[in-house]
Amino acid sequence: MRRALLGAVAAALCAAATAAAAPPSQDVVLPGPVPYPTPNPPLVGKTAISGGFTRYVFHIRNNERVLVRVDETGSPLSLRVRQRLDVGGRGDYQFAVSGPIEDVLRGPGSESEPGLRADQVLWAGFSPGRKVLAADVTLRPGEAAQYLPVRLGLEHTGDGVTLTVANATVTPELEYAGTTRPRQIASLLDRTRRTARAGERLFAGYATFYGRVRQRAQRAQIEAPLRVEGELRVGSGNPVRFSELLGDAEPLALQVHARGAGTPHVKLTATPVPVERLLRPPGGAPTWTAALKRRPLPGPFLLQRLLQSRMRLVRGDQYQSFLANPDADGRSRSVYVYETAKAPRQQAVAAPSGDDERGGGGPLVILLAIGGAIVAAGAGLVAWAHS
Amino acid sequence: MRRGLFLFVGLALLAAGCGKSSSNSSDLGHLTVAVDVPVTGSPYVAQTIRQGLELATANLNAGGGVRAGEKSYRIDVKLYDNHLSARQAVENTRRALDANAIAIVTDGTGVNATWQIAQRDGVPISITYDGGSGLVDAETRPNVFRIAPTNHGIAFRYAEYLVPKKAKVALLSDDSAYGSEGAADLDRAFSENPEAVATKLTLPAGQSDLTAQILRVKRSGATALLVWGQPPTIAAVLSAARSSGWDVPVYAPPTGADPFIRQQLADHPEWVDGLTFASGRMTAEVGTAPFESFQSQYESTYGADKVGVKTSAGQPVIQPPEFAMYAYDFAHVLTAGIIRAASTDPKKITAALNQVTTQGANGDERGFNEHNHEGVVDDDVYFARFHDMTFAPVHDDPLSSTLPVIPQTG
Repeated sequence: MRRALLGAVAAALCAAATAAAAPPSQDVVLPGPVPYPTPNPPLVGKTAISGGFTRYVFHIRNNERVLVRVDETGSPLSLRVRQRLDVGGRGDYQFAVSGPIEDVLRGPGSESEPGLRADQVLWAGFSPGRKVLAADVTLRPGEAAQYLPVRLGLEHTGDGVTLTVANATVTPELEYAGTTRPRQIASLLDRTRRTARAGERLFAGYATFYGRVRQRAQRAQIEAPLRVEGELRVGSGNPVRFSELLGDAEPLALQVHARGAGTPHVKLTATPVPVERLLRPPGGAPTWTAALKRRPLPGPFLLQRLLQSRMRLVRGDQYQSFLANPDADGRSRSVYVYETAKAPRQQAVAAPSGDDERGGGGPLVILLAIGGAIVAAGAGLVAWAHS
Repeated sequence: MRRGLFLFVGLALLAAGCGKSSSNSSDLGHLTVAVDVPVTGSPYVAQTIRQGLELATANLNAGGGVRAGEKSYRIDVKLYDNHLSARQAVENTRRALDANAIAIVTDGTGVNATWQIAQRDGVPISITYDGGSGLVDAETRPNVFRIAPTNHGIAFRYAEYLVPKKAKVALLSDDSAYGSEGAADLDRAFSENPEAVATKLTLPAGQSDLTAQILRVKRSGATALLVWGQPPTIAAVLSAARSSGWDVPVYAPPTGADPFIRQQLADHPEWVDGLTFASGRMTAEVGTAPFESFQSQYESTYGADKVGVKTSAGQPVIQPPEFAMYAYDFAHVLTAGIIRAASTDPKKITAALNQVTTQGANGDERGFNEHNHEGVVDDDVYFARFHDMTFAPVHDDPLSSTLPVIPQTG
């Protein structure tokens, strides 16, 4: 009995001493699932009445097809969104979808008629359990085009036309740094990877930091990874097809050249995709935890990879809703379709100003940024390999 | 909470614009709203619309009137009798415009002719009874609005309700304008399910004996009758079918709830049993309280609308003020429009009506938008069935099954 008591006291003292010696720790919230780094998308209407809400009884799946008509230089001329809301739940509903909305028409398969108010699409009625609400929404391109995920440039060069497709979702974001436990970060990386592969929305998560939590001086440049597929044709020439990933450790822009004379025609789709490459464990390991068991991985590297991957997943999720899903927790998917259309040049939308919220520039700027990023990444890899 | 979206804005606007004015009531300006209804053609409809409108404006006036920009106004209601005549409705519209009416509330009589006259002055017209499909079109008739269930909505809801029952439906309509319009909507609604239609027949409006026609319908193999007509036609169909021992289910549009049918068949209350009608629901998801409050206020002001029949227990049956509610609601939407427009210019008020929503008497939201001038959405159409001279929502329709029974004895 006495021995036991002494043992307990000793253990308590030991624990207290350990606690006193260890640096203070704090749990820091990881990026995701929200907030999004910029206010748009989903688009917001300037004159729309705010304060709408969706009752918890409704679960809504949102699918959008954003159709962008561009001129012969690649500038957007018109924007139309076909939005389909699959409403689950029984009861009265009134939803509002806001944005720079010019007009709305009933979409194919819709079981109700959309209403239009200043910068709002209105849905009201009764859902018996399931209801499909579909609308063809025409947006004012001057206000909406700046939030598109991809910018196109078409330029006559030499013997044909060169198309530049640039990921326009890049935005600077604050990034934390500090001391963490590699095992915890590796585990979080594995979980984040599983979520991304399942196409699910990020889970809320925390990482434990020991000692001071710093902000990195330089903001991370974060993009929504996009799968871009399409073709470029000049006049009656043969089409040049392409399919590239823009982002997720791949270049943020691509160039396609098609030979021929005449009017260029481009059609492409851009689809936000989950982070895959950046979440791939090093050395062919099945998981980050396994990779860590094989060889030590630097804590700062793991932490940065976790934070930046999650920021990209959040950014990608943001572009899944060009128009808002009335159910903030509902699943959304968007596909952006760009196609050239014949139209007078003067109707083209002016390029966004330099103080654009995403901080992105034109295709050339982005290309230069990519070059720099690739060089920096290469240097980092070499340094890590020799660490 | 039913359709809470935008409601706070409507309420805020109303609260801001309808507050008790510190100024003397004699300082108030006057705005006129015309009500053009068939006082001598369909007195029950005329009375319920007029009273609903007057109840709303009386409340607004008692609260200090409505504020339009820098000045407050009281709303006066001016009554016109259209005798169910389009020609008279045209004449009344001209007189209402001469009297500087800022809006016209009507049962729907003559709107095909009156809307253009009103449009010249930008004056909005609100229909609060007739659900005819061509009457309202936000694109071509930008000054015409409606708060009442639409024929289109009722017809499609009936197709949705009856086709899955595998019934062979006889589509019957009378040769009144109301019946013809309804028949056209029924044709469209059942066009994708022709196998569900046993026969189509036009009945002479006003004829009390339809025995021959109903016998013909019976021989067509019909297992259900959908009768789109005036109340006397529906009463005559019930009478012909039941007196011949044919217990076929009978379905009707909102006219099926008209007191006239029960009065006509008071000697055979069992003939009314099972009659099902479609109309706009009187209660919202919030429950019966808002409608009961409105009904109580309505009845304390004007007395209950007595049907003139009794239940088997000897209780007098009263008619809930459904169509009074629609006129009442339009008065509130109009007020919100005036406040938003900050003007008494009818053109500005008409434009503002597309942007406002207010809470209706049943707790539901009422409002219009740039593409839709219907204040009762198709989804709000429910079905009710008579038993013992009173009606209750049916249980075999998803919306109707959620609705409570409105008390109808007093």
